[in-house]
Amino acid sequence: MSNSSVNNMSQTAQPSADGNNQVDAYRRRFMGAITGTVAAAAAITLVPGVFLREVHAADVTPRPEDQPADAKIRWGMLIDTRRLTDGGESMVEACKKEHGWGNDPKARPDQQAQWIRTVKVTDKLTKNSFTLPVMCQHCETAPCVDVCPTGASMKRADGIVQVNKHTCIGCRYCMMACPYKARSFVHEPLTDQLPHSPRGMGTVESCNMCVHRVDKGQIPACAEAAPQAVIFGDLNDPESRISRAMKALGGEQIRGDLGLNTGVRYLNI
Amino acid sequence: MSSKIITYSEVGAGKGFYTLLAIFAAICAVGFFAFLYLEHEGHYVTGMNNQIVWGLPHVFAIFLIVAASGALNIGSIGTVFRKKIYQPLGRLSALLAISLLVGGLVVLVLDLGHADRLIIAMTHYNFKSIFAWNIILYNGFLGLVGFYIWTMMDRKLKEAYPYAGFMAFTWRLLLTMGTGSIFGFLVARQFYDAAIMAPLFIAMSFSLGLAVFILVLFASYKWTGRELGDLIINRLRYLLAIFIAAVLFFELMRHLSNLYATEHHGVEWFILRDGGVYTQLFWIVQIFLGSLVPLSLIFCRFLAGNRLSLVIAAGLVILGGFAQLYVILIGGQAFPLVLFPGADVESSYFDGVTNSYSPSIWEIMLGLGGVGLAFLMVTIGVKVLRFLPESLSDGIVDKAR
Amino acid sequence: MMFSKIKSMLLLPLMLPMLLVAFLAGCDASPPEINLATAKEKAEQCVEPTEDMRRNHMVYLNEHRDETVIAGIRTKKHSLNECINCHVSATKADGEALHYPDQEHFCASCHTYAGVKIDCFQCHADRPQVLDNSDYKHKLSANSYHEMSAKKQPLNMADMLLVTGDKGAVQ
Ligand code: HEC
Ligand code: HEC
Ligand code: HEC
Repeated sequence: MSNSSVNNMSQTAQPSADGNNQVDAYRRRFMGAITGTVAAAAAITLVPGVFLREVHAADVTPRPEDQPADAKIRWGMLIDTRRLTDGGESMVEACKKEHGWGNDPKARPDQQAQWIRTVKVTDKLTKNSFTLPVMCQHCETAPCVDVCPTGASMKRADGIVQVNKHTCIGCRYCMMACPYKARSFVHEPLTDQLPHSPRGMGTVESCNMCVHRVDKGQIPACAEAAPQAVIFGDLNDPESRISRAMKALGGEQIRGDLGLNTGVRYLNI
Repeated sequence: MSSKIITYSEVGAGKGFYTLLAIFAAICAVGFFAFLYLEHEGHYVTGMNNQIVWGLPHVFAIFLIVAASGALNIGSIGTVFRKKIYQPLGRLSALLAISLLVGGLVVLVLDLGHADRLIIAMTHYNFKSIFAWNIILYNGFLGLVGFYIWTMMDRKLKEAYPYAGFMAFTWRLLLTMGTGSIFGFLVARQFYDAAIMAPLFIAMSFSLGLAVFILVLFASYKWTGRELGDLIINRLRYLLAIFIAAVLFFELMRHLSNLYATEHHGVEWFILRDGGVYTQLFWIVQIFLGSLVPLSLIFCRFLAGNRLSLVIAAGLVILGGFAQLYVILIGGQAFPLVLFPGADVESSYFDGVTNSYSPSIWEIMLGLGGVGLAFLMVTIGVKVLRFLPESLSDGIVDKAR
Repeated sequence: MMFSKIKSMLLLPLMLPMLLVAFLAGCDASPPEINLATAKEKAEQCVEPTEDMRRNHMVYLNEHRDETVIAGIRTKKHSLNECINCHVSATKADGEALHYPDQEHFCASCHTYAGVKIDCFQCHADRPQVLDNSDYKHKLSANSYHEMSAKKQPLNMADMLLVTGDKGAVQ
């Protein structure tokens, strides 16, 4: 947030979005021709409009299923809010679909679970505004992990923060502690949950960076839904796409002042 | 140990006793029914939600827990500070402490999303968690106070009495600090993030515990027809005044230091000026009814020695303390989290808006159930064991000193 | 568990007459009718010897769940989802969805008889998922997929340097 006003100024100074895109497309091709970076992610046109595309192979490498999560890795995400033309709505939809939340029949609106949401931020002084998706920020020193009496709120070896719902007693202290309001409590009995994402009454839940996908070598559903704006990868590997991007461009934290060293970072906030 | 002059006895099993027993048992049953309902339906039937995650049951629970540690003070003053005049009250004070604590804990536990996993809470400890430490503190408190009662009742353990009293006293300070720190450690919440929460809670425990104690003492002596002299009552009266003043002092310090830090201005103005029901509760109930009125009742010259005024004062202190906890707990959550300092935020998840909360009947039932349980335990306690001195008339108290 | 026990104790006075009726009605149904039909269609054997499984399935499950959730080990052998996939059919004979409370459900067919209460299916799917997932993005392999729209292209460095303008270009 520290230099956001500067960024925001330049954002407002720019012409309409469409104009931008055209210029960008041109520049992209231009740069691609020179550097060959785009060629690395070459697109083979099968049918007009349908692409078979190789994402950078190294974002997530599949791990043998009998191996535990690797402590050398720290998974993270970099989200460029300006490239999210919908403010992250598609990411929210993808998450709902992946984990099956968002329509608990009995809960009131203020009791509905929300693992990820889009937040519109308007600067009080300049009135400049932007929208960003907010979910669990996967802090390195996560307050929710510190306060949990049973250790159910946990950080995996690879930096993913999640709830071990088998030992969660539903005390909601983690929800009190989270600065991002990233957690929800399930207020009612549920049926027909998705097999890969069990959710149930009386426990706390939140974004788990799609552990079940990451363990299989896939990227989280939200990152997959917005590949033009989100890079998922290993923050500890200096050669990963996300580390290189962050080195070049930075990656801001929400409430960086709390010093939580979040794993989810943003550009242009 | 208190002088030989004091004799303790169980209360008789009259009609009044059984009526009282039935009333408290009924309240307990109501609370338990609320628990069964919540356990079956889920928390959607409560007023709590994903913004106000701790609601009325927690206000009740924390009230009882804080009052519990405070109730022990009367005994501690007698034992630790060797004020002999308080020693005859030690047994009742310890019984009340245990009962209130159990009542509070039961509410806390029965509100859990998975109360059936209590065994996990007892077997899986995260030692970084203040909450986990609190579980240990609560259990230790029950054990120590139980032992303290034993040393008071069993002549053979007379030697251990001062030590038990001292340990129980130290432990209760830790316990209240632990309870206060449940909030003090929440960096994310503007209203809680302050070290002063711990001493504030200690001061609150003094005044709330004493107020409850006074009411119980009055009731039990009146209903059993025992004599209660002015000597002891006046002691308690001025003690209460000191404690009320202490709470006011820490509350003032807290708000002043919050107003000093710019980042906390938002939440301060919310509570003190713009918070609607929370502002009203703060000024009218907590400050005016719960602090200023009792202080004037105590110090008003025309009411000196008036017992009813002390009872009313104690009642008001309890009301004020409840309001104070409500404001701290629920008001503190109603104020939106600050995601982006200096910016307005809006979302489908109630970011940036004042969160609303209206407790449901189930939460009230559950909370009252805990209160009922506490007093049920006291009622049974004074019946089966010798907790109450047969007389606290001035003559006897004076000699015991 | 403790509280559900208390609860069932409270319900006991209500249940007793019903149990009595059930008992009188179905004296010959005493040995449990374990529903193995679904599994037998798919395999000869369980993941561990049958006798062992009968006695120790909860041990395997509990061990595996900690391995999975805490450590991230994703082996299939003792996975609860796999038990369900093999042992439970999605629908009952009459075409209705089959759920844990139903007597036909493999796990329930035994637990009801043994009087075992488990909370697993408060969260876990109690039947194989019926696929309705005509995903908008068809997965080809871990890292490749069909994109229906050409507009959403993965981000690469060159893109980002350009879009973010000055700040990036300096580096
Ligand atoms: C590939 C299919 C398959 C999977 C996966 C599987 N089972 Fe089985 N299971 C079977 C078959 C077939 C039998 C019957 C074996 C026999 O008849 O001896 C069986 C038998 C059992 C029995 C004994 C029933 C009896 O006769 O008393 C239990 C208990 C059981 N399975 C539990 C489980 C659990 C728990 C899991 C998951 C960890 C699981 N099974 C996974 C196929 C499977
Ligand atoms: C409050 C919800 C909840 C309850 C109740 C629950 N689980 Fe889970 N379980 C989960 C979640 C969440 C995961 C993690 C899924 C993932 O990471 O892919 C999980 C994972 C598992 C796994 C590993 C994944 C798999 O399919 O093998 C096992 C085994 C498991 N649970 C067993 C159990 C058993 C046995 C019970 C009952 C005693 C139980 N669970 C009760 C939520 C729950
Ligand atoms: C052969 C009969 C049988 C079948 C089939 C069976 N169970 Fe069990 N299960 C039992 C018995 C008996 C117990 C109780 C063991 C005890 O209390 O020591 C039990 C206990 C459990 C427990 C532990 C409960 C507790 O209180 O901790 C879990 C979890 C469990 N079963 C899961 C399953 C699942 C999941 C299935 C279906 C895939 C299944 N069981 C199928 C007989 C069975």
